[in-house]
Amino acid sequence: MIHLDMVGKAYQMGSETVHALRNVNLTIESGDYIAVIGPSGSGKSTLMNIVGCLDTATHGRYTLADHEVARLSGDRLAEVRNATIGFVFQTFNLLPRLSARENVELPLIYAGMSKSDRRKRSEVMLRRVGLEDRMRHKPNELSGGQRQRVAIARALATSPAVLLADEPTGALDTHTGLEIMRLLEDLNTEGTTLILVTHDHELAMRAHREIRLRDGEIVHEEIR
Amino acid sequence: MGRRSLWESARMSFRSIAGSPVRSGLTALGVMIGVASVISLVALGRGAQQEVAGNLQQLGSNLLMVYSGEPRGTALVRTNTSNIRPTLTQTDLEAIRDAGPDLVNLAAPASTSNAQLQFENRNAAVTVTGTTPEYPEIRNFRPVYGAFFDQSHVDARSSVVAIGMQVYRELFDAGTDPIGRTIRINGASFVVTAVMEEKGTAAQDNSVLIPISTYQRRISGDSAYAMIAVQAADSSVMRDLQAVIEENLLRLHRMPSMDGADFYVVNQLDLLATVEGVAGTFTLMLASIAGISLIVGGIGIMNIMLVSVTERTREIGVRMALGARRRDITVQFLTEAVLIAVAGGIIGIAIGIAGSWAAFRFARIASEVTITSVLMAFGFSLLVGLFFGGYPAWRASRLNPIEALRYE
Ligand SMILES: Nc1ncnc2c1ncn2[C@@H]1O[C@H](COP(=O)(O)OP(=O)(O)OP(=O)(O)O)[C@@H](O)[C@H]1O
Ligand SMILES: [Mg+2]
Repeated sequence: MIHLDMVGKAYQMGSETVHALRNVNLTIESGDYIAVIGPSGSGKSTLMNIVGCLDTATHGRYTLADHEVARLSGDRLAEVRNATIGFVFQTFNLLPRLSARENVELPLIYAGMSKSDRRKRSEVMLRRVGLEDRMRHKPNELSGGQRQRVAIARALATSPAVLLADEPTGALDTHTGLEIMRLLEDLNTEGTTLILVTHDHELAMRAHREIRLRDGEIVHEEIR
Repeated sequence: MGRRSLWESARMSFRSIAGSPVRSGLTALGVMIGVASVISLVALGRGAQQEVAGNLQQLGSNLLMVYSGEPRGTALVRTNTSNIRPTLTQTDLEAIRDAGPDLVNLAAPASTSNAQLQFENRNAAVTVTGTTPEYPEIRNFRPVYGAFFDQSHVDARSSVVAIGMQVYRELFDAGTDPIGRTIRINGASFVVTAVMEEKGTAAQDNSVLIPISTYQRRISGDSAYAMIAVQAADSSVMRDLQAVIEENLLRLHRMPSMDGADFYVVNQLDLLATVEGVAGTFTLMLASIAGISLIVGGIGIMNIMLVSVTERTREIGVRMALGARRRDITVQFLTEAVLIAVAGGIIGIAIGIAGSWAAFRFARIASEVTITSVLMAFGFSLLVGLFFGGYPAWRASRLNPIEALRYE
């Protein structure tokens, strides 16, 4: 499914080269549940962005579902993000003007789905995350946990194969965070590949596989 | 799939406009004012043009004037010819009439000078014109009461007179029947046979008309004519007719060319073209001044759109992460700019039309809103939206998704 071969990301800062990521070899199979941990600045988000086709590697090869990502055009990358990847962000990133339902419909719009299909699909997704009675609410009328649920419903709307969650519980209290984790894990049980970035060792323990980054390199990997 | 998401992007931009009506309204204001001024200033220019052209048409249709002497100015009709030495003759008049029915419809000689009128104890200073019965038709200046003199009066050098409306008012009490009354022109007695229609110009309303033969005997003492008014058979033959008249009269006057000739021809068509040309330039000038305000409006849109793109950087990043292509983002912001500009344009058109209507209704300022100017104004506001919205939309679409998502 996901295959990284000597992948690196370097930034040129004046005369200095900053390696946000280097020599990353990683293979993730469909249905995996992986936790990425590591100190701040170790390159976790950079890795997620590359896997999610938001960013491109400066070194190495990245193949996603048999596509060599470096060869894809901007429009194709947008399509891949739309169809194959679901993003869940630490800060939710819901559009404040749109209702919960309209937020969930966004990726479906870019997928070219008709309005009536979108309405059905967004309702199913919001029901799936337990927010069927909050569909008309704007983000600022929802609690943090509810917002993250909307964001998850949105990430799932196009039935992506991979769910990328970059510290999804970082802005939530422990209890709500655990609820969100359970929801994500349920989705993984149903077959979605889940890649989770976290600082929390306890949360990382729940994953099938754990990858530890330091200074842009994988320093430890364990399978449970 | 592409088309649907583009349409949805357009729909989202509509929502975003509706979501901040005050800002959108203020943004559209510049274009609104620009378009309103284009519409009303062009209408004003057109109105002036129509008015001048209309006045010119009032003088008669398909009118050519042959004058004695060297060319003096470009006036089609000169109100007083007493300072011109007459050089046009009966032979010239017949040569003009002989140009044939395909070219010429009617021709009438005319000489004009100032005269003093007297009726009972009242006096009036007027212009007196000696002419023939064709004159009312040629000059589109007809009697409303009584009958204009006919050829027999000309042949007999009768002392009959047709008086202008203003002359009637000055000499007679309202309601008095002037027909058959005797008035004095420079002391000589004339019988009133007709009152001419009111034209609204002193040159005609404050004039009297008498047979040319009587004029020559009593007023000028000269057998030549100061001018000959000619009605062409059709507006399409006016220039041909002018050429024929010039050729024939040069031959009769034994002159080589129009340079230094002792007559000249003024053609209504040429005057009309000149007037419309001048008015057209005037209109264009007004339109370009107004066009500048349209451009200023466009810059306002660009400014706000750039601010809007910056404010919504994170939104753009989120949309890109969710699968928006560059063109989806472009369309969203471009549509927003175009909608604002076009809405401003439509309201501006309405204001412009209302403004020129009000100018006519309350200040009698002639103005004409043409469908062309409305379509042009609409088209320009669309272009302004595309042009000035283009850069901000392009900027939005070129954002790097990660940087956009990180934007605080
Ligand atoms: N645009 C950039 N230009 C230069 N350096 C960058 C840029 N983006 C990231 N970096 C650097 O890359 C490194 C990895 O950043 P990244 O965001 O992946 O860290 P992270 O592991 O997600 O940290 P955190 O846990 O704090 O979110 C950091 O040292 C960062 O300074
Ligand atoms: Mg990070």
